Amino acid sequence: MAQHQVRYLQDGGLPVLLTTADKILQWGRSNSLWALTYGLACCAIEMMASGASRYDFDRFGTIFRASPRQADLMIVAGTLTKKHAEFIRRLYDQMAEPKWVISMGSCANTGGMFNTYATVQGVDRVIPVDIYLPGCAPRPETLQYAVMMLQKQIRRESAFQKLKPKRLV
Amino acid sequence: MMRRYQEKGDVQKKAYYNDRFWVAPQIPKDPVESDEIFAKDLESLKSKFEIKEAYIQRGQMVVYIDPKDNRDVLKHLKEELAYNFLSELSAIDWLAQKGEFEIFYQMLSTSKRKRMRVKCFIKEKEAIESVCDIYKSADWAEREMYDMFGVIVNNHPYMKRILMPDDWQGHPLRKDYPLHGDEFAQWYEVDKIFGKEYRDIIGPENRDSAYVNERDTKHFARIRHEVRFGEEPSKEPTDLMKEYQEEGGVFLIKKFKKDKSITLKERK
Amino acid sequence: MKTPRREYPNRLEPFFENLVFDRDDNTMVINFGPQHPSAHGQLRLILELDGEQIVKAVPDIGYLHRGMEKMAENMIYNEFLPTTDRMDYIAATSNNYGFALAVEKLLGIEAPRRAQIIRTMLLELNRIISHLFWLATHALDVGAMSIFLYCFREREFAMDLMEDYCGARLTHSAVRIGGVPLDLPDGWIEKLAHYINKLPKDIEDYEGLLDQNRIWKMRLEDVGVIPPEMAETWGCSGPTLRGSGIPWDIRKEEPYELYDELDFDVPVTDSCDSYGRYKLYMQEMRESIKILKQLIPMYKESDPQIMAHAPQYISAPKEDIMTQNYSLMQHFVLVTQGMRPPVGEVYVATESPKGELGFYINSQGGPYPYRLKVRAPSFWHTSILQELLVGHYIADVVTIIGNLNIVFGEIDR
Repeated sequence: MAQHQVRYLQDGGLPVLLTTADKILQWGRSNSLWALTYGLACCAIEMMASGASRYDFDRFGTIFRASPRQADLMIVAGTLTKKHAEFIRRLYDQMAEPKWVISMGSCANTGGMFNTYATVQGVDRVIPVDIYLPGCAPRPETLQYAVMMLQKQIRRESAFQKLKPKRLV
Repeated sequence: MMRRYQEKGDVQKKAYYNDRFWVAPQIPKDPVESDEIFAKDLESLKSKFEIKEAYIQRGQMVVYIDPKDNRDVLKHLKEELAYNFLSELSAIDWLAQKGEFEIFYQMLSTSKRKRMRVKCFIKEKEAIESVCDIYKSADWAEREMYDMFGVIVNNHPYMKRILMPDDWQGHPLRKDYPLHGDEFAQWYEVDKIFGKEYRDIIGPENRDSAYVNERDTKHFARIRHEVRFGEEPSKEPTDLMKEYQEEGGVFLIKKFKKDKSITLKERK
Repeated sequence: MKTPRREYPNRLEPFFENLVFDRDDNTMVINFGPQHPSAHGQLRLILELDGEQIVKAVPDIGYLHRGMEKMAENMIYNEFLPTTDRMDYIAATSNNYGFALAVEKLLGIEAPRRAQIIRTMLLELNRIISHLFWLATHALDVGAMSIFLYCFREREFAMDLMEDYCGARLTHSAVRIGGVPLDLPDGWIEKLAHYINKLPKDIEDYEGLLDQNRIWKMRLEDVGVIPPEMAETWGCSGPTLRGSGIPWDIRKEEPYELYDELDFDVPVTDSCDSYGRYKLYMQEMRESIKILKQLIPMYKESDPQIMAHAPQYISAPKEDIMTQNYSLMQHFVLVTQGMRPPVGEVYVATESPKGELGFYINSQGGPYPYRLKVRAPSFWHTSILQELLVGHYIADVVTIIGNLNIVFGEIDR
């Protein structure tokens, strides 16, 4: 027997909620974006700072994972060099769909100040990027804003649309 | 029209203006006799090895030796003269001027509180003996020297590239290596990950830091005119930047209310 | 069965080189990195294991090689200064300072007294930031999550101070060749005094949490033992060298800046292990606080000049540039063409939080250095891993890497 009366059509329907499948799925996805700790250079320190006490990333549901298999979001924090490019592609391929990429900092966006033989001129030459985050190094607030923008974008999308291949064929 | 000939031996950046009458001043080279400890050390070195030149510059002794003696000189410095640290080792490229590499060993003696530099010249194709059994710190430094300059080191235990990938071509710190890399370097990651046939799809690197193309929404978005990836640029301001939270708030998530938050005047 | 269409065609084949099954000697080869959360950057280690014990370790670096030395050869001296920020990005000012001091030695100029005081303050503040960061990440690797949160809390307050001074949190560029760009803002000294009065209590808290902690002691004591001879021959410096009982601190032995006027001790331990080095780092933070306390009254007594007067190399103060024609011309030439130091070479070593940070500059009288070599302490501390790791258990690898305080920006440059 029900212990309490369920008023389905009043009081917002609690404890029963009515919503669309899209909304609940994307709400869940956007609020538990587990990020892969992809610290490459200086921006990694700011990424750590955003996970640490003052900025506290956990309140966005963003928890850093060390394994690509458990991660939805790759935050490329720092300079991607030619020697490393192969590994970022491998780890990106190992992440489960759906997956998103934030390119954090000038180096990851365009190569930044390191316009040399050894740096990849933008991580989007190797993996598709959803959000470009400018700054050298971007402050933790900026990274959090980027994640919030990404959350907003995810909420707008339909959960069941066929995953479109992004750029890079 | 003929393309203007460009010197290919040295592609380093050149100063765009040089005063013809400017003679660069020299940092003074003091005689070694002016310092008691260095004078003694040099005396000891001279008794055993051929010293080509020796002077003191900015408080540190610089000694030029024969490259064949490098092991013996360093051994002597370590065992007899108490230079217990090899703090740095690398090369300088003089190929365009003299066809030589200059190799320097930066030494430190903690007991004497003195630093000195041992230097020698080798020809481009010559090899130098490894010193990594005398100072183990030379192990990686010699590998780096090989990687960056192509100076071959004999009898090194693991003579492979250290900073660049193993399949890299060229030695980056040579003066005839361009800063932006040669063709191999520029396509390295594309060739390795996708293969040469994807070069056209991905396109060449954009090395121009001032490049702006407003029509290109793939790479750039105008502030407050952001559109989705690859769409046509919009004339009307878009609302992507307007506000983070959706109208009416997000399902089960409370909206931040500024008047109910507390700002601390001072840290706790 | 239909093979799935490859949506992202790439040529990367599955990666099996780290597991070799047909070996005779019963050892296993495992691959660590280059993207590992406790590798402190992009270190790749190829470890050969006998059971859980390491038989052979081959560190592989270069995953963050950005070609800084090549960049330096293509830049005027002032232009290169912000690049040095990105080397040891945890204590950026110490790199700026090392480079600025090397160029000043090359030019033969000296910064005015107030600039020296500000520089020393920033250097010591950076040492505190760096050591707090070291403790945070090291403790996190070993498994003490709360220390990470506590240390970052204190570090953020020190970062606020840096931000108040130069506007950047991480990449400061707060030191210029010939001095500092700005005087301290109003109220900064008071904030600094407030911070360094609070900090000793926090350091005590950390020690209270860790010193007698059974897990901390078990994981650190007698792990990563570097005997003095080994430290010497591998070119160790800084706390790693002093942790092996060799009392060598460049601030004390070859004093630069104001360090010969300041009263501070150099902590040394001869325990040679990770735990001894941890105690050393804590003690060094206290010494830095002591130095900062002495600098505050010195600042108040000094003259307001903050840039050296050397019109050939260094621009005049902003007021002069705005009011005097000749200063403006000089500034224009220095900005567009760059200073031209005399012909010669210098090697200048400074004590960065990680160890001996040296800049070798060879100048041929042009506006660009002919050769610039950075002697980064972490490079030499990483090379020691191939000898240090042998004989340890695999769980100790992260302890040792964390304890050596390596930063990949300066290893690979």
